[in-house]
Amino acid sequence: MSTQKLPLEGVRVVDFTAIWAGPHVTQWLAVMGADVIKIESNIRPDAERAAFIRTTTEPTMSAVFAALNYAKKACTLNMTNPKGRDLAREIIKVSDVVAENFGGAVMDRWGLGYPELKRLKSDIILYSGSGFGRTGPYSELPAFAGIVEALGGMCLLNGYLGSEPLPMATRGYADLTSAQHGAYAILAALYHRSKTGEGQHIDLSMTEVVGALLPEAIMDYTMNDRVPRPQGNRDVAMAPHGCYRCQGDDEWVAIAISNDEEWRAFCNAMGNPEWTNEDRFRDGLSRWKNQEELDQLVGEWTGNRTRFEATDILQKAGVMAGPSLKVEDVAHDPHLAERGFFVELDQPGIGVLPMAGLPWKVVDGPRGDYEHSPALGEHNDYVFKELLKMSDEEMARLQEEEAIL
Amino acid sequence: MSGQALSGLKVVEWSDFVSGPYCGKLLADLGAEVIKVERPGTGDKARSYGPFPQDIPHPEKSGLFLYLNTNKLGVTLDVRTATGAQILSKLVEQADVLVENNPPREVEELGFAYKRLSEINPRLVMASITPFGQTGPYRDYRSCDLISFNASGLAFVNPSDGVEDPEGQPPLKGPGHQGDFVAGLSGAVATMAAVLTSRVTGSGQHVDVSEQEALASIMRSYLGLHAIEAMTWKRLKGSIPGMVSDKYHCADGMVYLLCGQDRFWAQWMKAMGDPDWAQNELFQDRISRRENWDAAKAMIEEWTRERTVEEVVRTADASRVPCRPINTVKALANSELAAARDYFVDVDHKEAGTVKYPVGPFKLSQTPWRVQRPAPLLGEHNEEVYCNRLGYTRQELTVMRAGGVI
Repeated sequence: MSTQKLPLEGVRVVDFTAIWAGPHVTQWLAVMGADVIKIESNIRPDAERAAFIRTTTEPTMSAVFAALNYAKKACTLNMTNPKGRDLAREIIKVSDVVAENFGGAVMDRWGLGYPELKRLKSDIILYSGSGFGRTGPYSELPAFAGIVEALGGMCLLNGYLGSEPLPMATRGYADLTSAQHGAYAILAALYHRSKTGEGQHIDLSMTEVVGALLPEAIMDYTMNDRVPRPQGNRDVAMAPHGCYRCQGDDEWVAIAISNDEEWRAFCNAMGNPEWTNEDRFRDGLSRWKNQEELDQLVGEWTGNRTRFEATDILQKAGVMAGPSLKVEDVAHDPHLAERGFFVELDQPGIGVLPMAGLPWKVVDGPRGDYEHSPALGEHNDYVFKELLKMSDEEMARLQEEEAIL
Repeated sequence: MSGQALSGLKVVEWSDFVSGPYCGKLLADLGAEVIKVERPGTGDKARSYGPFPQDIPHPEKSGLFLYLNTNKLGVTLDVRTATGAQILSKLVEQADVLVENNPPREVEELGFAYKRLSEINPRLVMASITPFGQTGPYRDYRSCDLISFNASGLAFVNPSDGVEDPEGQPPLKGPGHQGDFVAGLSGAVATMAAVLTSRVTGSGQHVDVSEQEALASIMRSYLGLHAIEAMTWKRLKGSIPGMVSDKYHCADGMVYLLCGQDRFWAQWMKAMGDPDWAQNELFQDRISRRENWDAAKAMIEEWTRERTVEEVVRTADASRVPCRPINTVKALANSELAAARDYFVDVDHKEAGTVKYPVGPFKLSQTPWRVQRPAPLLGEHNEEVYCNRLGYTRQELTVMRAGGVI
């Protein structure tokens, strides 16, 4: 097992983010070894702590919060109190990155905008995530994934052929893809800083991320003045290409054929039923033109098998195929299990549970930091007594004055 | 390319289509020097995917390829030939990073396993981006975006609404190439982390990015709720459970409006002029409102249908209730938001002409994202790279071209 260091050891992050998009950025940094200090307070905890809890096991540790905040430390600072803000400044002075995703210029109003942060620490990197950017007409509006995807054009592209708009907001697609762009930008800024000593301000807009992942649709408009519509599971060139119903309750297999060679392998794997010899399926173009009928016929073959049987037969024949997994299937997927994708988090008040790790794997390298998600104020002693070197008396006084709250 | 965040970082991109190239693009757009290696003749598969101006296919005019390969140098190389493999080795020897998205078995068979590469270049970061990763029972599965998207669980939870018969519909992949983009994106984060490490230790790393994992990571809230709350899901129908946010028809389009949450409900009712129906006890407490949401939504939509998108959005903005138009890409492109944020950039390309591209989705104050050069023509930089840097003569280039090496 490796004794290598984690990439971000020695990097400290002051983390004002909350909910989804922001915390996933700092989650990446924390897992890769950064000392991430999450700033909350008892009067304003990260709202995700209380979100969507069904059991009453641990009222400030929702499943979603646990899934987004492991490896971080948490302290309580009352940022509405000037003394609380002063304490934040002290922590920032010994940090490398400040991360925030407020729905407006909150940092500026606190006197913690980028120019002020630079005065505290000249090479500071400030990450500002938002729905629409820190400049522009919507800079004061809070963002929600569905809104961002609607504005960004995703909704009108996600869907079946001829369908109405559908957000892909399925629990935060826009948030988590934005967050990874944010993490990337922060790492690039750290690289720049390591060569030049210069920090900077990163301004990430989720709406822009949505567009960055749909460039072919945008460029069809800018090149051809044409507005693309949802294509369902269809592909520009491949047919068959889609999900086909299998045995079982709402169970499907995904199949994609990209050339004549794969088509022949596919036909063989199915035992060469009569219909595969028809002229209308003879070549790629004909198959693409007749894909509605083709899909029906393929569905008759898959309908007699389970999705795993179909996958196995087709993969052995060299055909692109795979089961459509439900959440519980993913949780028990043997491939993900062998790769160690799920990490056993020992979550106080809840137990030891398998949570999704990050898709970050270094071959023969260090495993990420997967410490449990922190309770509110769990690391106050670390932050105030160790980092800021406060005495017990000082800390008690600041608690009384409601700076630490 | 001095003065950019990744100036001086040398990358070889031996990858095709979307996932590897998006990783390479993220690096190139912030100033890394990226040499993109394409197969001779047809080049990268994205060149044949379009969109094309006037729908006329042309390998130098594919919108997808042009976008994904801004800021890169382009060379052609058949890595399967002995000379080709030698040349790739030389390029790798001089590089800080190798980004590749080839099937793991092929990479080994061609002699480019990380173990060997790290011997010729100990500080090399090798980022391998594949559908199922370098290990595990599905490692050699043949795959594409559709397969990976379904293997992550995301297709199953993508809303199956918006059509007449949602129950009859299959699980839905994301539009375009979401799966491949996300894999490339995760690859870029992992690559930069390895680069930072290599800078400190002088030693490289092999980074193993699986598209299935990159997408399953986006499922983390579902997986968390499954593990902790023992939840499972039937296929989603449209709106997100528990969020009571939704799309509403207006007189001239649609909006996406979040008004059902406690914090927005009162404001929204006020904005609608406190309608009588809202006094019904069904809608007073949040649990009951959630249970009867279809009825509430129907009443709200009666109101929005009588107004334009602009009016509804203006009303919502005034009350600080989240609401935005459901945009086509055309509406987005022409919006004041796009203009204010410099959402598009004009890029000149020798063959494709001047086209508007979406810009990089982050603004860095000191080292801005920018396009220094458009996507390369096929083999455009063969001479610059092979002659000027590797020392081949022009005559040798001719021989190699004739032999199909480049």
